[in-house]
Amino acid sequence: MFRDFLFFISEACIGMRRSGIMIFISIATIAVSLIVFGIFLLITVNMNNLADFISSKLELRVFLKHNLSTEELQILQRRIATMTDVKQVVYIDHETAWKQFQDNFKTMDLSDLLEQNPLPDSFRIYLEKNDQIPVLARYLRSFPEVEEVSYQGAIAHRIELFSKFTRVAGLTLVILLTIATLLITVNTIRLTVIARQNEITIMHLVGATHTFIQWPFIIEGLIIGISGASIAVIVIKFFYLFFSIRFQTAIPYVPLVFDSLTLNLIYGFVALMGACLGVLGAYISVSKSLKASI
Amino acid sequence: MIRIKNLKKVHANGFIALDEINLHVEKDEFVYLVGPSGAGKSTLLNMLFRADIPTTGEIYINNFSLNNITIRQIPLLRRSIGVIFQDYKLLPRRTVYENVAFALRVLHVERAHIKRQVTQVLELVGLQQKMNHLPSQLSGGEQQRICIARAIVNNPPILLADEPTGSLDPDTSWEIMQLLSKINSRQTTVIVATHNKAIVDDIRKRVVGMEKGRIVRDRQLGMYDDV
Repeated sequence: MFRDFLFFISEACIGMRRSGIMIFISIATIAVSLIVFGIFLLITVNMNNLADFISSKLELRVFLKHNLSTEELQILQRRIATMTDVKQVVYIDHETAWKQFQDNFKTMDLSDLLEQNPLPDSFRIYLEKNDQIPVLARYLRSFPEVEEVSYQGAIAHRIELFSKFTRVAGLTLVILLTIATLLITVNTIRLTVIARQNEITIMHLVGATHTFIQWPFIIEGLIIGISGASIAVIVIKFFYLFFSIRFQTAIPYVPLVFDSLTLNLIYGFVALMGACLGVLGAYISVSKSLKASI
Repeated sequence: MIRIKNLKKVHANGFIALDEINLHVEKDEFVYLVGPSGAGKSTLLNMLFRADIPTTGEIYINNFSLNNITIRQIPLLRRSIGVIFQDYKLLPRRTVYENVAFALRVLHVERAHIKRQVTQVLELVGLQQKMNHLPSQLSGGEQQRICIARAIVNNPPILLADEPTGSLDPDTSWEIMQLLSKINSRQTTVIVATHNKAIVDDIRKRVVGMEKGRIVRDRQLGMYDDV
């Protein structure tokens, strides 16, 4: 078995050396396909990240009635904090709120208009999921301690839609690009197989089994796939580094994914995809040729 | 060894390539299949190593019934049959040695054994001095010898030759036929499809004549034009 495996590797190397230009074209095609795939993957991940970021900034504002005791406030805060999907509840007393208001509108002199602080105590509630905001708002309005609940309903809804869209569109694009890359890989490797159809026929005629004929081509496909993927990963890595730094400098408030684990997972996925596509492409191509030469 | 019963091959366009073929070839026999082009000689040979499939009829080769053979068994059948092609079917970018060794590699034979066997068979066909040449560097006769060496290197019990002298000059043709006769004397059943009258008449063996897809005569020590 080990002897056969060495033979398959040596046959794969001989095959690759003898059809150098075709192999080069195959590697280049796979690299280009995977670069497009990888860039779309990075864009999708960043869009999702952006949607999550915007979501995390959304808040529910609960304005409280004036006459609540500290104990009542603490009980209510604890109660809200234990509700499903509530990430954080921050208490803002009416004095802090008034100070923040005045800071935000420094240019306006409000002292003439308002003699005393009109703002009530309030809670800022941050949620895990935006789609729960309207439900929770309705529920909180029914509390006797609550005067009013406000949230950016339309924005929350749009962001939720955008978030869903980026996930669905991203997944669809990734699937479509995977299929497209597979088709390109199959057809490119098929050209190298067709160029050696005569060899396959002769192997058949001297009694070689399908497996025996397939293995060198599959190893070739693996090498082609890994080579193409390696080029793609290097290009994507530089592309991302180059553009993300420029993008971040130009628009600093939009967060990009710089987490090395996520990025390495993406690069690893592209490399794995290259290897799988190479093997699958070679398998499909050589199987077609085997059927043709029986 | 080889039994063919009521074999018929009708092509998709309705052309009858083989019609009611019945043939029995014993172990160690040497048989010429003769007849004009289009008589069905090559089609019949192709049926024997499963390069073509009959429309009806039965073929038995050693332990194989070709009617019931599975795809997995086809390589096993082909390993028991050496085939010599008129167009040689050599791997152009591999040396003489590699072309012959290839037939043993597919049988998972050990490297040292391959070397010994290939060297022996190349000596038999007279190409031991040219084992590192590419086929394109050799003459037609020499390429046919590579093809013969590849066909017999694993000592198959049956050797099929489709017009082995078709593109060779008379002297080289004579040498190739002498070689096939020598292989036959080493207990290999040999079937040669040819329309080389001179050779059939000089090296007298069993002659099976074909015309329009049918066997029209079958003579021991026959001649090309026997009636």
